[in-house]
Amino acid sequence: MSAPPHVLVIDDEPQILRALRAILTEKQFRVTTASTGEDGLTQAVSDPPDVVILDLSLPHMNGIEVCGRLREWTQVPIIVLSVRDSERDKVAALDQGADDYLTKPFGIEELLARIRVALRHAIHAQGSKETTITAGPLVVDLARHIVTREGAEVKLTATEFKLLGYLAANAGRVLTHQTILTHVWGAEYADRTEYLRVYLRQLRKKLEANPEQPTFLLTEPGVGYRFMADE
Amino acid sequence: MHREPLSPFSIFTQYLLAVISIAVTTSLLYLLSGTLDTPIIALLYMLPVGLSTALWGLKPGVAAAFCAFLAFNYFFITPYYTLFVHQTRDVLVLVVFLIVAVVISQLVGQAQAGLAAATDREREATRLYELSTALAGLHDEQAIARIVAEQTFDTFQATHVHIVAQAQRVGPGKSSGAALELLLPPEPVPDRNPDWLFPLQTARGVLGEIRLWRDERPVLPAEERLLRTFASQGALALERAHLAESETRAKVLEESDRLKSALLSSVSHELRSPLATIKASVTSLRSEAVAWDSNARPELLAAIDEESDHLNRLVGNLLDMSRIEAGALKPNRKWNALAEIVGGVVARTLHGPAAQQHHLEIDVSEDLPLAPVDYVQLEQVFSNLISNCLKYAPANSTVRVSARVQADQNLLVQVSNQGPPVPEEHLDRIFDKFYRVTNADRVTGTGLGLSICRGIIEAHGGRIWAENRSDGFVFNFILPVEWEGASPPRSPLEPETL
Repeated sequence: MSAPPHVLVIDDEPQILRALRAILTEKQFRVTTASTGEDGLTQAVSDPPDVVILDLSLPHMNGIEVCGRLREWTQVPIIVLSVRDSERDKVAALDQGADDYLTKPFGIEELLARIRVALRHAIHAQGSKETTITAGPLVVDLARHIVTREGAEVKLTATEFKLLGYLAANAGRVLTHQTILTHVWGAEYADRTEYLRVYLRQLRKKLEANPEQPTFLLTEPGVGYRFMADE
Repeated sequence: MHREPLSPFSIFTQYLLAVISIAVTTSLLYLLSGTLDTPIIALLYMLPVGLSTALWGLKPGVAAAFCAFLAFNYFFITPYYTLFVHQTRDVLVLVVFLIVAVVISQLVGQAQAGLAAATDREREATRLYELSTALAGLHDEQAIARIVAEQTFDTFQATHVHIVAQAQRVGPGKSSGAALELLLPPEPVPDRNPDWLFPLQTARGVLGEIRLWRDERPVLPAEERLLRTFASQGALALERAHLAESETRAKVLEESDRLKSALLSSVSHELRSPLATIKASVTSLRSEAVAWDSNARPELLAAIDEESDHLNRLVGNLLDMSRIEAGALKPNRKWNALAEIVGGVVARTLHGPAAQQHHLEIDVSEDLPLAPVDYVQLEQVFSNLISNCLKYAPANSTVRVSARVQADQNLLVQVSNQGPPVPEEHLDRIFDKFYRVTNADRVTGTGLGLSICRGIIEAHGGRIWAENRSDGFVFNFILPVEWEGASPPRSPLEPETL
């Protein structure tokens, strides 16, 4: 990765475009911008980006649709921007293949962290995957099915490990309820969010220092869960 | 109204009876003919003629008159047993007899018909009076249609009455034009076309129609007139209901206008104060006024950060409020753990400045049944209630959040502080929009937080209230644990061994 990563920002608000262009350029990214979904799709073809930052409320073609159209031909990481209270939109975008979301207004540190996670996943998607994920005192060994906390092994049931393993393998990314349920329990359990509530509670009890205020297994309100690993 | 047209058979019977009455009179007079004068006989013949008219109507009466004339001529005028008349005097008697008989039947007939018509009109008037009394004061379109249908059904002895109209109701969030339909008796209408069909006509156009089916009996003009009046009474009542509703709507609009102005004035003040801080900080940072290494820099930046968060919350509150007002706050319900929701809110509150001076005590067990709630909305309720309690709590006191199952069917949640009591008369009203117990200038906020809580809790089928306790002030809310008839799912624990 000698060339600076290329970020394509698709948003119809010129102020946001201006601010993001200034900040991301400062942070050593190459930034291109588009103010409509159609324009963004064209640019993504002519100058393929490493990360797409996509506003969900675009005129004409909305962000969810743009997401779907991008996913028809590219696996480029997509981070969607949305406003509060549009959980359905967020979930729809994630189900359409978006990798992550940020709620406007957001702090720039948060955005940079999301971009880093997205870029790292893009690299792993192409090459070898990490088999051990570290998060503070936790180490999840995906290959050997072992979880240790401060060096001591934590006993997990098979389902607990399947759930933790799936979250850890996607560390840093938000996974929707439906995605997790489908992956861990199967498609017929896609609506049984109560399974997630119960299993997450158990995992937190076993792994978190303070299960009420988790630091690794985070709830994304109304959307899903995210495993926070060390960067 | 019920003088129904007679069958051919009964008409024939009436004529027959008229003729028989003359025949009986004739035979009686014939027996007594020796003792009676011709003029007396003529006079006595008037009796059955008049009776026939009175009992069976004008035409049988006239028929009786002619029969009487013939019988009188045949039996009692010389030469007997023929219809010939020799004496001029007898011709005169006969002619006068005929004229008098016909005139009497006509007079009696007219009187009869007049009486019948008067009775009909009286009955019509009674029916109309009943209808308009029943309709008076009704404002519900369904009820109006029902009354009209019932009265039509009774009055016209219909087999089916069907009323169709456009409903005029236009409430907040409801669309107009839903059809109003009423069927008596409540079974499918016959296959054939209705026997009668009357439009419900008002100044604004045709609202709908009354359809009526009944057995083969034909329609009398008087009935048609009455039904027309029924239809117009019904239309008037519907129109009146519509006007009453328009008026209510106008009042509601007026009220919401007033609230909007209150909102605007409250909001513009609230929005401007963080903006003022942000603007002042940013301009001083951009200018030469603040040196790069000055201690003021981080201060100003922190102020901008905090104030923009504050602005964001305000805008969020406004959006929520408008959504609640528009009835568009639809909870996206799923089975959620209250402990998880409260945990998230508490984690965020602990980062804020308000929590530094107070103790937060959380008693929300993880073993509570899952609640069918919208995660994000419940987060907001907890966040608003906790921050409200923190705002009014004395320094170094405890703010407590607890939840427990109540009577197996509700979750009772309490958020309390050790703050001063709120005067009883305010306890209900603090959930109203813009309602403040204290002076608006002393406490920040839009005055919307608690009313949003109420909107959300009510949208979940719950209830929220506030009360004073000996050791402080407490917000309570209850949420039903059942959702669409389902109890909270038990933990789907796998049977596998560790």
